[in-house]
Amino acid sequence: MRRFWNETYESLLMAFDQIRGNKTRSFLTALGVIIGIVSITMMGTAINGIDAGFEKSLSMLGYDVIYVQKGSWGSMGQWWRFRNRPDLKTEYADQINRIIADNPESGLEIAVPQMSSYRASVSYKDRNLQQIFAFGTSADYLRTASGDLSEGRFFLPHESESGSMVCLIGDDIATGLFPNESAIGKDIKLKNRKFRVIGVFKKQGKFLGLFSFDNQIITPLNAFRKVFGNSGYVTIRIKTKEKIKVADAREEIRGIMRRLRRLPPGKTDDFSINEQQAFKSQLDPIKNGIAIAGIFITGMSLFVGAIGIMNITFVSVKERTKEIGLRKALGARRRTILMQFLIESLSICLLGGLTGLVIAISITAAIEKILPDFPIQFSLLLIVISLIVSVLTGIVSGLAPAISASRLDPADSLRYE
Amino acid sequence: MDNTLIRMESLCRFYEMGDQTVKALDNIDLSFNRNEYVAIMGPSGSGKSTLMNIIGCLDTPSSGTYELNGQSVSGMDDDELARIRNREIGFVFQTFNLLPRLDCLRNVELPLIYAGIDAEERFDRALDALERVGLGDRVNHKPSELSGGQIQRVAIARALINNPSLILADEPTGNLDTSTSRDIMTIFSELSEAGNTIILITHEEDIAQYTRRFIRLRDGKIESDTHAPILE
Repeated sequence: MRRFWNETYESLLMAFDQIRGNKTRSFLTALGVIIGIVSITMMGTAINGIDAGFEKSLSMLGYDVIYVQKGSWGSMGQWWRFRNRPDLKTEYADQINRIIADNPESGLEIAVPQMSSYRASVSYKDRNLQQIFAFGTSADYLRTASGDLSEGRFFLPHESESGSMVCLIGDDIATGLFPNESAIGKDIKLKNRKFRVIGVFKKQGKFLGLFSFDNQIITPLNAFRKVFGNSGYVTIRIKTKEKIKVADAREEIRGIMRRLRRLPPGKTDDFSINEQQAFKSQLDPIKNGIAIAGIFITGMSLFVGAIGIMNITFVSVKERTKEIGLRKALGARRRTILMQFLIESLSICLLGGLTGLVIAISITAAIEKILPDFPIQFSLLLIVISLIVSVLTGIVSGLAPAISASRLDPADSLRYE
Repeated sequence: MDNTLIRMESLCRFYEMGDQTVKALDNIDLSFNRNEYVAIMGPSGSGKSTLMNIIGCLDTPSSGTYELNGQSVSGMDDDELARIRNREIGFVFQTFNLLPRLDCLRNVELPLIYAGIDAEERFDRALDALERVGLGDRVNHKPSELSGGQIQRVAIARALINNPSLILADEPTGNLDTSTSRDIMTIFSELSEAGNTIILITHEEDIAQYTRRFIRLRDGKIESDTHAPILE
């Protein structure tokens, strides 16, 4: 055993000596592994980042909030399938709340109406913002949404019922219209009607990088109607009670909605029940696609790298035939020679792997600095995987040359020039 | 104790060259005692390299027996041969065969690594061996910083380090000038006087004159086997 460790240690020293002695060659050899490891880690980082960004976005929607709408999130881009459905009415919220109240076993807590427009514009003095997401809702909205206020307050039940011309704005609108002053108490114009700002939301970031909660303006539902009439898109937000399964809550909502719509059995739903899970099932194929492409690219570069290493190790064996002969003459056994060359290719791969990791971490850090919003996440698991992959590449590519070296005939090798 | 170190009986070594069988060694009977100082001579193609390979356990005979220190080598596998070479034989080569990137000390200790000796003991013994060949002050020099004669002395130190029962020198002065050759041969003579068994393969008569027994090979056979007269 001691002999084994002695030999291994010596092989390690010799390997590093060899690598130091042939810097350019070692670097070129390691390049394949470096590229492979960089692509593994970048791919893993991207997938992790997408996951993390996605989780963050989903938490904005709320895990316990179900959205009843005309169309379904799960089939975005197929709006024509829902075009002929009747519009939802905001009154459903009150009706649902009444039904919930009558049923003590209900899994639902509260329903909140929301009527929205995607293409509002707001202005203050000469400043003007387009493509604002505006919606009216009730004072209970906050129970179904995340989002703290940085300033001011939400509107109160009596303001909601009377349709007071007050509003809350997202952070982007506040900084856009009021770059140097507080927005609170100012009158802004929404579709040429004056609204007084009573609250500003804290910055929340983009949802899936597409839709910003910081770009919205919220008014009491009745005030919204005064401006937009009844033309807005209606959503009923329903919060479930704690520890209620989403599937059960969906079924209950479905029953209630069918009752409100008076749909006879056998007729399909003319509304959609949406929750965050729908996005997940939309995004999973994309994520898997990236993962498969990543594994393919990584596999290719590692394969090419491994062949390169094998090639160079074969050359190195050939070049050092005389050295191998000498070592054998001095008493090196087959296993010793095998170990020496295997350790050499393993060291090159491991060094390549570590270099790859350093490069990948630097790239990640650079991206984080340049694009702070870009979802990116480096994990310990990736480091472990990269190192294991490097070691495996080293073994796979070094084994054949090492075996051929160990089998060389000592007498012939000594005479080799 | 049996004084015979090496015993060869009807030893043959054939090579297949296409359809032909070349008899590199043809029915050799030869034995060496401990502390002998022998020169094996012969023109190229006489089979002396093949004989050296077999004596050095770098090769095994096609037929016949070869015993080294009481052990029959004929049927051994690669790793057993490696173990025998490591323990019983110290090689000195014409081309020196030092590893260029290692310093003298690391070159000399190489056989001890394969013998599984610890670093501390290796260091002590390598230092000893280098001092014996008069290079105690060059231990950390690399071969490229030494003269040919010094390099060959490092190689001799390496051959000595395992206290082998046999020192096998293949044209040890072939790449050296006359005066350096004389120095190297002096070292071999001293080693012989100290009780080592030395077999020298050479084609130079004046080098062979340092030894006390001359074996001449021709066409794979022993042409002559003579002992030097004892000069007093």
